[in-house]
Amino acid sequence: MTGFIVARAFRAIVVLVFTVTLVFIVLRLSGDPAQQMLSDNASPEALAAFNAKWALDRSIFEQYLFYLANALRGDFGVSFADGREVFSVVSERIPKTLALTVPAVILSLLIGIPAGIIAAVRRESAVDKGVMAGAVLGYSIPNFLLGLVFIFAFAVWLRVLPSSGSSTWRHAILPVATFALFNAAAVARFMRSTLIDVLGQPYIAAARADGVPNWEIILRHALPNAAIPMVTTLGFVAGGLLGGAVLVEPVFAWPGLGSGFVNATSTGDLPVAQAMIVLFTAFMVIINFGVDVLYVVLNPKIRKH
Amino acid sequence: MSKLLTVRDLVVEVPARNVTIIGGISFSLEAGQTLGLVGESGCGKSMTCYAIANMLPRGIARTGGSIEFACDLLKSGKAADPTIAMIFQDPTSSLNPVHTIGYYLESALYRHQGLKGNDARLEAMRLLERVGIDRAESRLRAYPHQFSGGMNQRVMIAHALAAKPQLLIADEPTTALDVTMQAQILHLLEELKAETGMALIIVSHDLGVIARLADRAAVMYCGKIIETAPVAELLLRPAHPYARALITCMPSIDPADLEPPVPIPGSVPLLDSLPGGCHFHPRCSRASGECAAHFPAPAMIGPVHEVSCFHPVAA
Repeated sequence: MTGFIVARAFRAIVVLVFTVTLVFIVLRLSGDPAQQMLSDNASPEALAAFNAKWALDRSIFEQYLFYLANALRGDFGVSFADGREVFSVVSERIPKTLALTVPAVILSLLIGIPAGIIAAVRRESAVDKGVMAGAVLGYSIPNFLLGLVFIFAFAVWLRVLPSSGSSTWRHAILPVATFALFNAAAVARFMRSTLIDVLGQPYIAAARADGVPNWEIILRHALPNAAIPMVTTLGFVAGGLLGGAVLVEPVFAWPGLGSGFVNATSTGDLPVAQAMIVLFTAFMVIINFGVDVLYVVLNPKIRKH
Repeated sequence: MSKLLTVRDLVVEVPARNVTIIGGISFSLEAGQTLGLVGESGCGKSMTCYAIANMLPRGIARTGGSIEFACDLLKSGKAADPTIAMIFQDPTSSLNPVHTIGYYLESALYRHQGLKGNDARLEAMRLLERVGIDRAESRLRAYPHQFSGGMNQRVMIAHALAAKPQLLIADEPTTALDVTMQAQILHLLEELKAETGMALIIVSHDLGVIARLADRAAVMYCGKIIETAPVAELLLRPAHPYARALITCMPSIDPADLEPPVPIPGSVPLLDSLPGGCHFHPRCSRASGECAAHFPAPAMIGPVHEVSCFHPVAA
């Protein structure tokens, strides 16, 4: 187990360094930050001064080494936009994003898992068809569009919930619902197909032949087996929420990492954008690590090695 | 002796596709007796077992006939009768990979005998030892993937014994095992049968397995029983041309026997396009017009020898 963790940690560092490098290059290639930051009619002197101030006039390799050395020490530089530490610009947005994603993950599991189980157990019944139609619909609508539909329905038309901002918990309802419905649909679909697959296994038929009651077949025999592939999906869902945040948060003007990232890239605030991508990557690495550990815990075939 | 199991005119179909898998078969089994079901793949041997154990897969249903077990009628749609136990061809995939052997046996002991805690554990150990697994105490904590196929089949048998069955159905119990293991498992089944007095239905395409364990054998072809006889009688004096062909197909290990096995011409027809009359007639050298028109009614050609053929091979 220790060897496993050390190997995973080493791999995580390699992934992070690789991401930092790639992001650094891509962002530098995607436009001149001086022109994006300053107004269109800024003087050449002002542009040159901006570039000199942020060391953008050095070669890209020098800039990279400089950035990497600082990043490894935890210093991600200062925002081009307002000169604040990138670290605090980013970290003050983290709780805002967690306030949406954590309830959304919990809600999507609370809806998606039971819905998938019911659909699988009552396979081909009206309940199954209803659940799956809902899931396909939920999964097919892009989540930012779903957000707009919710705003239209609940804020503009019914006028029961605020459409944007983050000042009260009521502001969180629509973005959380948007996230949760989309992911609940994905979870339900995968739960159903995984459980149907497990229920078709010979050991389930053998348990039935032995007179094991149906609820026990589902709970004790099928679900522990279905949990193993479900953990992978859980990783995708949790990881997908971060990507989703970039699309959904701006719709609701929710001041989390997603909106912050959109602002930073559209204004050319490279240090902030870069730090956020590194943070997203770190999240993904941690989630994958969690998935790997859960896999070992749930699957006796791997556990014993 | 009293009849333990009586199957009358059993019909099993795939209703959605209007395909008949078992086209009306009848047989009976006395307490403590062993019946062998022989035939090629797809002839309905396994489906007969599933129908008796009331565990037909989704989409396949018993649409006719009756299955009487001891005196109670098995009602379709109800849980399997607890005094019938079943073991399967592939023991490893018939064991749940996330549960230990101990959980598997102890939960069955609780279900069938109400044993709990330490009582269940001790009985589980006793069962494992009975089926020839040593170091039973530590084996209870093992998972199926840590065992060989032969050991898992022993575990399946121990699990079946936990139900104290009056009838054990063994569906190709040795097909997936290597030859030395086959012999051990067959020996174990023989011993347990003698010890517990349970009846046994053994399904196999291997006549050697049937010859060793069964008292009587029924030969199936395309969902019909075409011949039933005591095993020795069937092997020595098969009356149905198909049964005869099946027996001559068996390769001999006798070095003096220089005759090569004779294959049966043609191939097994698909269930959705069965030839009318006797299903074997297109492949049969003795077939006449009558064979294509009607399925021959079973006829007794000996005291306990029954055959469905218009032109049986004379003894």
